[in-house]
Amino acid sequence: MKATVSLPLLSASNVDAGYGHVRVLENVSIDVRQGRIVVLVGRNGAGKSTLLRALSGLNRPTSGKVTFDGSDITTAPPNAIVKAGLLHVAEGRRLFRRQSVADNIELGRYGLRLTEQDHHWRVECIHQLFPILREKMELPAGSLSGGQQQMLAIAQAMMREPKLLMLDEPSLGLAPVLVDQVLAAILTLRAQRVAILLVEQMVERALEIADDAYVMQNGRVITSGPAAEIAAGAALHAAFMGEHGAPHHSEARQGRP
Amino acid sequence: MDIDVFAHGIVAGSLYALVAVSFNILYRPTNVFNFAQGELVMLGAMIFASLTSLAGMPWFVAFAATLLAVGCIGLVEERIAVAPILARSQTGTGWVITTLATSLIISNLVGRFWGPDPILVKPPALLSMDSLDIASSRISSYEIALVLLTVVLVAIVERVYRTLKGKAVMAVAEDREAALLRGIDPGSLGRWSFFLGAAFAAMTGVLAAPILYASTSLGPDLLLKGFAAAAVGSIGNNRGALIAGYVIGVTEAVGASLLSPGYQEAVIFMVVLAVLLLKPEGLFGSPNARTV
Amino acid sequence: MLRAVVPYVAQAAALGAALALPAFVGANSYALFVATQLGIYVIAAIGLNLLAGYAGQVSLGHAAFVAIGAYSVALLTVDHHWPFWAAAVVGMVLAAGLGVLAALPAFRLNTWYFAFITLAFALVFEKMIVEWRWLTKGFAGVVGVPPPSAFGHEFGPRPLYYTVVAVTVVAFILVRNIVHSRFGRAFVAVRDVEPAALAIGASPQRTKLTAFVISAALAGVAGAFFAVQKTVVTPDDFTADFSIFFLLTVVLGGLGTPWGPIIGALVFFLIPELLAGLQSWRMLIYGGLLLGLMLFAPHGLYGALRQAWRRFAPAPPKAGAAADASEAREHPPIAGLALDISGLRKQFGGVLALDGVDLSVPAGSCCAIVGPNGSGKTTLLNLASGYYVPDAGSVKIGGVEALGSSAQKIAARGVGRTFQTPRLIADLTALDNVMLGAYTRERAGLLATALRLPSARAEARRLRQEALGFLHFVGVADRADVEAGEIPHGQQRLIEIARAMMGGARLILLDEPAAGLSMSELERLERLIMRICGLGATIVIVEHHLDLVANVASDVTVLDRGTVLAAGKPAMVFNDERVMRAYMGERALKAGVPA
Repeated sequence: MKATVSLPLLSASNVDAGYGHVRVLENVSIDVRQGRIVVLVGRNGAGKSTLLRALSGLNRPTSGKVTFDGSDITTAPPNAIVKAGLLHVAEGRRLFRRQSVADNIELGRYGLRLTEQDHHWRVECIHQLFPILREKMELPAGSLSGGQQQMLAIAQAMMREPKLLMLDEPSLGLAPVLVDQVLAAILTLRAQRVAILLVEQMVERALEIADDAYVMQNGRVITSGPAAEIAAGAALHAAFMGEHGAPHHSEARQGRP
Repeated sequence: MDIDVFAHGIVAGSLYALVAVSFNILYRPTNVFNFAQGELVMLGAMIFASLTSLAGMPWFVAFAATLLAVGCIGLVEERIAVAPILARSQTGTGWVITTLATSLIISNLVGRFWGPDPILVKPPALLSMDSLDIASSRISSYEIALVLLTVVLVAIVERVYRTLKGKAVMAVAEDREAALLRGIDPGSLGRWSFFLGAAFAAMTGVLAAPILYASTSLGPDLLLKGFAAAAVGSIGNNRGALIAGYVIGVTEAVGASLLSPGYQEAVIFMVVLAVLLLKPEGLFGSPNARTV
Repeated sequence: MLRAVVPYVAQAAALGAALALPAFVGANSYALFVATQLGIYVIAAIGLNLLAGYAGQVSLGHAAFVAIGAYSVALLTVDHHWPFWAAAVVGMVLAAGLGVLAALPAFRLNTWYFAFITLAFALVFEKMIVEWRWLTKGFAGVVGVPPPSAFGHEFGPRPLYYTVVAVTVVAFILVRNIVHSRFGRAFVAVRDVEPAALAIGASPQRTKLTAFVISAALAGVAGAFFAVQKTVVTPDDFTADFSIFFLLTVVLGGLGTPWGPIIGALVFFLIPELLAGLQSWRMLIYGGLLLGLMLFAPHGLYGALRQAWRRFAPAPPKAGAAADASEAREHPPIAGLALDISGLRKQFGGVLALDGVDLSVPAGSCCAIVGPNGSGKTTLLNLASGYYVPDAGSVKIGGVEALGSSAQKIAARGVGRTFQTPRLIADLTALDNVMLGAYTRERAGLLATALRLPSARAEARRLRQEALGFLHFVGVADRADVEAGEIPHGQQRLIEIARAMMGGARLILLDEPAAGLSMSELERLERLIMRICGLGATIVIVEHHLDLVANVASDVTVLDRGTVLAAGKPAMVFNDERVMRAYMGERALKAGVPA
């Protein structure tokens, strides 16, 4: 990694985490600096989502240390981590489907003291970024399309003006044009000095917009560096398409059942 | 049908609806259906009766003191009997037994402290239990006020759920983990809901006391009828609970007048079974969305 | 050795003490009276333990079922001069029948509905006893219930005591047999992991109902003896306190433990005798005990004793089960079922998860479904196995339309599945988890199982061997006796596959079996899938691990946002430009693949 200019905003060092008896993450360390887009790539089951859950306090790390914005959040409860400005938009959006879009957006600011004016201003910002939501404010969130739901989930997080936004598979099930919109929104957020930690299966697209990247495999970080270097390297392919290489090579083994 | 029977059904039904609403307040963020709720209603009636009839406290002071006291007891119940069980497993049903145990403890302590004799409680000033003969029905000014107040209370509770805190409670009910990620603390909302649910139960007891008297036998009876109203009106739906309360109250009154008062409970039981058999989610609910 | 012997010694000692008691006390002594009563309560408590402990349904109205048995016997023997035995059978049947009628709606709902409904039932029943004076004689009760008689001899206190002991022992053994059978395993599955119960073809409602019928019937039997022992039956005998008493007995002894009800009842009987002066504090003590036990000793005294015992005599390493399955067994071929899906459509709210998907998997082939996350793969599996109902389309399994069938019916037709996160029953051993798979295949009925008839025993033995064989087949036979909750993730997946095979699955749906596996586990999985396919079973595998897919699948279907993007042979599909793009993006196409 290049020399850091300042202390990273988020720093996880030697984190282990898992579910019950099962240890998923082993000795994972990552840094996210302010205003950067960092992408985590790797196959399903590599531990990307578990890492995000460990960082946001849903799965408390069993060892290691996590600092955010200068304070230790390793054992902080999720709501305290959210208050500190680290927001996690979980896989599958996890909206409150029975409540209206407006209510969902309002819930995004839960626990924040905002003046009426500030509140309206933030909602206006959201409408600027995602104009479609303006038309859907009174509909239940569950009735939105997948892309609109993703926008709403990001909008919820924006109500807090986060320092770092963690997005787990924002392109999940979206049509290409909507993926473009979501990625554009991520770039807009970076322009506002928001740091982004992105887990994304559309590896190529993610690496295009990212500054830094980490490649995960079997619960470990196997390589990291500037996104462009990672995109050009072979480690990515190994992690993604399997040890034996890409599907091209499987032709040779077609004889097997 | 006798309009008098109908009127008294509505009065009783209002009380059942209030108990059902108190169940719902507690249920929404915690998914716990408090088996001690009936005893909290009873406790409210007893404390209030003692403060006014015996200690001679002014109505409103006693009212506030009762709600506060029983609310705190609800909070203690949450801390001791519910939170540790939920910490062990969010989905288990150990709380059925622990809240039942709480109800046994409360009922027994109250019985020892106050004895079995019912205490007469007077309605607040300006209202009385004397029957007014309006349109051939014998209903008192207090009972009319109670019916109206119940509607207002349900409207207020529904209004509270439109506030941000209320929306947060609904959010926790729908997806606890998603709520955590929005900075909502389900534990704190659970404690608040136990406090408010218990206070609401106590208020129901205070309101019921002039009609039913304050006595230890109040608990089990209102527990089951409150449950009936909550289940028929769909758990968590307060407007449904209000209407279901009326249905239960009127059915009970009609059943008792046609058969004999001993059949009250049996008639309600049959209504609840029939509703749950035909519409398991109650009359005013939609079947749950996907769960996997 | 010590560990193996102790339970038998304890059982023999308990039985010996029970049989020897009358030799030490007078026939009309209070001690014999209390001991008889204890036996009666144990009978009801054993039933409640089966219901609340194993099946997870807490009954708060057990007194009512005891009352039904007691009143049946009292009324039929006093008013109609029936013999006790016939009246007792009527009491048992009535208790079970009325209980089912009342509790029927509750089985579809959350567990606590059942608690409330039984509580309400008990209250209503108590009132009705008083109300139906013409039948029950109201508060006065039924007086002068005659003792049972056999061969012209009326039973005195001693024969009555022996009869109760015999019935208690029989109830204990019957319930223990049931708990250790497919029914018991299904109870625990329904209690702990409902999706797993559905996957093996057990209907949660019917399973709960079975537990309840047994439990209510035992309460009815207890009631029958209650009536003859007390000779007077009054409404006051069956108050809510009495129901709480049963619940506390079971919780005190240990919910879901075989000896719980007996230990609980014993201790319970000693306490009131010792604390006779505290009679008026009884309900307070009950409440405090219930609360304290649930908080600090959820498995009761039995659980606490067992824990202490395990510390005293730690378990030896388990190897026994692995040994007798060590020889590699040839598995008989499996006649695979074809899966034909056409026009399948499913929408969740505003999200279209599947939009007209066609998929045809010939019998005996291995087909993979790949695609980015959120493309609808798991939804497809859930629709095919009946967990979701589609909005449109058709799902044919072995040529027969499966649409509209419930998950457990589809499972019974020979469709096995695994879940993204393995859904094993943590409290059961690996072997029991696999045996659970045979739920719909087992022929032995409840009665044959409870009585351990030779046919049921032979079947159980055969299935046990078969399950061991499957554990061996998937390569985890050494874990057979370990509780599933303590087994590593990778092996849990293999056990889940063994469970599906145990169910006689001819079409196996695997949902991301490779997720979270290590390299060596992955290789084992790959070999395993190929071997299962080699036996002839049809396999549909949803997987991200393209290497695995390329090696095991003969056909691949790529889903993207709910539609089929491509389908065909793996080599062809993976070289399809659109697929590459969906997976890797544009640049990968241009750059080619680095070796």
